Amino acid sequence: MAGAHPARVVTVWLPDWPATAAGFDADAPAAVMHANRVVARTAAAAAEGVVIGQPRRQAQRRCPEIELVDHDPARDAREFESVVRSVGELSPRLDVVEPGWIGLAARGPSRYFGGDRALVERLTAQVGAVIGAGDRGAVGVGVADGRFASSIAARLAVRRHAPVVVEPGGSPAFCAPLPIGWLEALGESDPELVDLFARLGLRRLGDLADLPAADVIGRFSDPGLHAHRLASGADIRPPSTTDPAPERRLDRVLDDPVAHAAAVVFVAKQLADELAGALAAEGRVCTRLTVLLETEHGERSERSWFRSAGITAAAMVERVRWQLDGWVNLPRGSEQEITGGIALVRLTPDEVRADIGSQLGLWGGQSEADRRAGRAIARLTTLTTEAAVTVPVWNGGRLPADRYRWVPAAGVDLDQRARAVSRSATGSGPDGPWPGCLPSPSPATVYADAHPVEVLDADGGPVMVTGRGAVSARPATLRLLSGDEASGWRRGPPRAIKAWAGPWPVEEQWWEPGRQRRVARFQMVTDDEQGYLVVVEHRRWWISARYD
Amino acid sequence: MGTVAERVEVVGALGALGERVAPVTMAHERTLPVAGVYAGLFAEGALVRGRVLSCAGSAATSLALGLVAPAIEAGAWLAVVDVPTVGLDAASELGVCLERIVGVDLGDRPAATWPDVVAAAADGFELMLTRVPAGVRPASARSVVTRLRQRGVVAIVLGDPGPLPCDGVIESADRVWEGLGDGFGHLRGRTVEVVASGRRIRGTRRGTVSFQGPPTGRGPLVGGHAPAPNRPAAAPDLVLAV
Repeated sequence: MAGAHPARVVTVWLPDWPATAAGFDADAPAAVMHANRVVARTAAAAAEGVVIGQPRRQAQRRCPEIELVDHDPARDAREFESVVRSVGELSPRLDVVEPGWIGLAARGPSRYFGGDRALVERLTAQVGAVIGAGDRGAVGVGVADGRFASSIAARLAVRRHAPVVVEPGGSPAFCAPLPIGWLEALGESDPELVDLFARLGLRRLGDLADLPAADVIGRFSDPGLHAHRLASGADIRPPSTTDPAPERRLDRVLDDPVAHAAAVVFVAKQLADELAGALAAEGRVCTRLTVLLETEHGERSERSWFRSAGITAAAMVERVRWQLDGWVNLPRGSEQEITGGIALVRLTPDEVRADIGSQLGLWGGQSEADRRAGRAIARLTTLTTEAAVTVPVWNGGRLPADRYRWVPAAGVDLDQRARAVSRSATGSGPDGPWPGCLPSPSPATVYADAHPVEVLDADGGPVMVTGRGAVSARPATLRLLSGDEASGWRRGPPRAIKAWAGPWPVEEQWWEPGRQRRVARFQMVTDDEQGYLVVVEHRRWWISARYD
Repeated sequence: MGTVAERVEVVGALGALGERVAPVTMAHERTLPVAGVYAGLFAEGALVRGRVLSCAGSAATSLALGLVAPAIEAGAWLAVVDVPTVGLDAASELGVCLERIVGVDLGDRPAATWPDVVAAAADGFELMLTRVPAGVRPASARSVVTRLRQRGVVAIVLGDPGPLPCDGVIESADRVWEGLGDGFGHLRGRTVEVVASGRRIRGTRRGTVSFQGPPTGRGPLVGGHAPAPNRPAAAPDLVLAV
């Protein structure tokens, strides 16, 4: 199969797809956030200077009226289904790399529609109509020899507001003057390797391509060879890539068709584990996977998914979920609308290659414990719900409950965890952006819903904090309240306050009328040796954390 | 797919053979490291895999986090099952690597879900921090303990362990709160008296742990100071007073 010339590939690239999928208009400034960072933004936000990877605060500073939503990969995949279907009308054989990114073989459709130009124009118009893009810049279509060059062409097409067609045989010349960072941007090489190339003075893809392949493999081994091959525009499938034997195909016929997405995903998980396990036992990894779902009424959804780094079992399950989600949420009355339970799930590995250790860092990478934990997380997710299994992400704030946020583990790349929890990753350096937060030691028990309390002075009157941040009297007694305001608070036993300090006022978001908060914090130790962080807001007292 | 099943079988058989012919199990293979300050609480000087410990008293959560921190730093993962209140700032100050923490919420019927979740988490996590929800049946609690033992998980229970049989109880009581006056200062540290006892802890072992903020550079709350680094600036020290 591996010819001397890479196959001609058309890439359709929709920039900032998560923002489009979230339903934002290109003219309204809005951004999609993940782990407190921008992952996608609308054209209007981009014009204001909001860039991908920016922390929330910075984005809000650049563009105060920006609307922010959390990232939801399932939503991206669901909304993308209509685009995939529309492209599928032109060519049945297409690979979805991720929501917003499709690759398809150019040869057939290009002949049918009368050349690459005509095909590209048609694709741009068709996809543009689906996503309702007014200007052509919102859809990037590129044609080139090889997937890598084609993907770059599609991204350049967005910047140039016109499709980019690289003539046959022109890929090496097209790639040569481009910066080496494209290898990282397209997820082909890891950042460390690209950084090393740059430090060695290889700043353009052409510089790397000019090196003899033997030297590159001698110094950088397989990842280096892969990068060299791409940089040279010779994006042929590596010789180890084979078309797997048909018996690799795994399917499960469900005698009792299931209508619950979770149950289908569960079946897919078993198949995926089996498939990935079987491939791994031979030292192979799947790079292109076809997922077929069929209902009891014979409706089918077949989609092929590509990932150059290899599709792990977890990634396979994720892709089945995306595909199912997109299918289930098709508008009523469309072709191949789902009307029954799923009766057949089939996973076919279309392309496998030797597993060359998936480009892990020399010192980093996954340990056995990490892999076990990853599997346990997947299992826990099926036992509970996806939202119930969470990992902490640094959020920032002055009150203990604001400082970290728990986000679903399913949507987090566990290899990249160190960045998300690190406080310095907020981009504000070691000094941090939170002057006025409480000094350590921090409370070990933090209540998401603060407990109401009563703080009384020696005479039994309520203690108040003035607008200037002074207490009306020395707090003497603390009483826990239970119940709710409507039916009247029930008061717990009074506790004498042994030591206390405060108030430390915090005034947050005073510029935003709806979200403005003005609270004062106290530390208090009661006579039963409990230490509390108590806050007062609008004359109401709460225990927000306990020094447990 | 017979080959895979065979392979798995062969690997399993080899593993069993390896265990049979192995001369002895080294003690450190059955333990997870603890910070020196806590070592005195255990006869083994470390956390023995498969034990269920209960942390109680006024510094229960801090003690639990301090106990697991070195093992997490060494690469183990911690499952936090049904403890949504755990203070991650404090965890990070006590040296816990937050990238290896996973939280699990039990949903509406905690007593019914808890045994399954703990059993599933035991497969992938070496450490667990949990609460026993009210209404867990003694039979399921026993099977959970068996599973934890089999998998060599160190589980730390906060609050009332209920029907869960614990191998050791670590009680804490505050002795000194530092830095906090009558309307002035701020909390700088605390000293906690710790008593360990229980079925698998010989006798009663006592110790004193002090949790301190970083010694310098943490001025009063007047803005401009740095939040704590992700690593502990000062490890708690323990003065053993047996």
